[in-house]
Amino acid sequence: MKTRVLTFLPLALTLIFLIGPFIVIVMAGLSSGNNLAFPPPGLSLKWVIKVFSIESFRASFAMSMFLAIFGTLAALILGIPASYAMSRYKVPGSETVRLIVSSPIIVPGIIVGLALLRYFVVPLSLSITLALFAAHTALILPYAVRVVSASLNNLRSDIEEAAVLLGASRSGAFFRVILPNIRGGVLSAFILGFVTSFNQVPVSLFLSGPGVRTLPIDMIGYMETTYDPSVAALAALLAFLSIGIVFIAERFLGFTRYV
Amino acid sequence: MFQSRVEAMALVLPAALFAGLVFLLPVVVLLAQGIHIDGQWTLSAYVDFFAKPLNRTVFLRTLKLAALVTLIAAIIGYAAAYATVSLPPRSKGRIIGLIVLPLMISPVARTYAWIVLLGRTGIINEALVAIGLTDEPFRFLFTETAVTIGLLQLFLPLMIIALISALENMPRDAVTAARVLGANWFQVFWKVILPLTREGLIIGGTLVFTGSMTAYITPAILGGSKVLMLETLLYQRVTVANDLVSASVIAFILMAMAFSANFLLKKIASARGGK
Repeated sequence: MKTRVLTFLPLALTLIFLIGPFIVIVMAGLSSGNNLAFPPPGLSLKWVIKVFSIESFRASFAMSMFLAIFGTLAALILGIPASYAMSRYKVPGSETVRLIVSSPIIVPGIIVGLALLRYFVVPLSLSITLALFAAHTALILPYAVRVVSASLNNLRSDIEEAAVLLGASRSGAFFRVILPNIRGGVLSAFILGFVTSFNQVPVSLFLSGPGVRTLPIDMIGYMETTYDPSVAALAALLAFLSIGIVFIAERFLGFTRYV
Repeated sequence: MFQSRVEAMALVLPAALFAGLVFLLPVVVLLAQGIHIDGQWTLSAYVDFFAKPLNRTVFLRTLKLAALVTLIAAIIGYAAAYATVSLPPRSKGRIIGLIVLPLMISPVARTYAWIVLLGRTGIINEALVAIGLTDEPFRFLFTETAVTIGLLQLFLPLMIIALISALENMPRDAVTAARVLGANWFQVFWKVILPLTREGLIIGGTLVFTGSMTAYITPAILGGSKVLMLETLLYQRVTVANDLVSASVIAFILMAMAFSANFLLKKIASARGGK
């Protein structure tokens, strides 16, 4: 009995430490008071409603959604053919390619953002929106390649050879045999990319202009100046969004099998 | 198997070109800024950087906090992972779900929660005053303690998950055998569990260490300008002083530390593992 307590008490405390802050955020966001406090004096939805009325949050939410959806799609469009070629062909220097493609995951995001701004966006006088898009695509590319490669490696290559022997063209075999079979992996890559892009801060830190900001950057700016529970309400909403997406994905795809 | 190299290259090229142009090239140019000054190749920027006491403090603080967070994460991680793997499969799955859950939540939200908890009127201070441990609320925010707690909460799941998979791969009876043969718990851990889970510890440790070292949000929010770490210093140097040379030096240090942490830990693994 004593050893059971000694074994499971640390686990219980660890879970409180990991999950507790999330519960605090939710409770603080549902506060009926005017100041950030835990435990809240009472519960109400007023701060949740206020979040939706803040203009800049709406704009930056739209920007974050745009980047998460289209940045991930772009990363998949670049990443799927590359993963396919690396798994099926003997690509000369494929290790180098793998290293280049996965490098954005190794280099700290803040450096990526700064380098991109100073030595790509400014010299070519590109728009900040385009720069954010490129940065998010580069950030997601390694995840896309890794997850898609994993599901391609689980796929037997003889079904594709069979399709070709039966008269399918190379691209026909890809679109009608390979792609439907790695659908789960591609969707998992999309969800992982979406959540990564949506929650990420450092890459976007330097890449903000007038009216062009991602939601997390906007939140940091807001919480530096205001001490009310609206950021807590927003943070809680976003957390539920991320958890909801991942939960649904896990239910229908067995998402974690690919990650 | 198909054989056309041209086709293969055509499929790989867009991704490689994109990552190379948008990502690798700008980063290389940024790193070059620190060693190519006024048309000359020189290391003077690095000498100047470390000559300033503030920079040295920030550098050492970053190393210290990252190492501390990794150490605490390893200790908590072993306890939590050991309890998790001894659960029946159903509840094990649920507990792993709960451990992974925070990873899905925005780091901004997770860090923000600590402002609510650690503030002057936060629940921790109220509790400390209520039980009479202190009359004055502690100042947690903008201290190294706050940053350490925030980073630990951010990266602990990675350590626990790495240790869970290491413990699962460990022979089931090893601990029981050692206990039957008379080893105490400390000996069991040091002589049986630790050597058999070394690889998991190294993977988890690398993730936590490099993650803590290159974190931006947590030091920025919980540390402010009082507890600068390398990333927050880099941001400050660029936005306040437009000092790209310092930024380049810090960028190089961060990348070099991340790479050498990886390399060193791999070395230790192969040297002591003997595999």
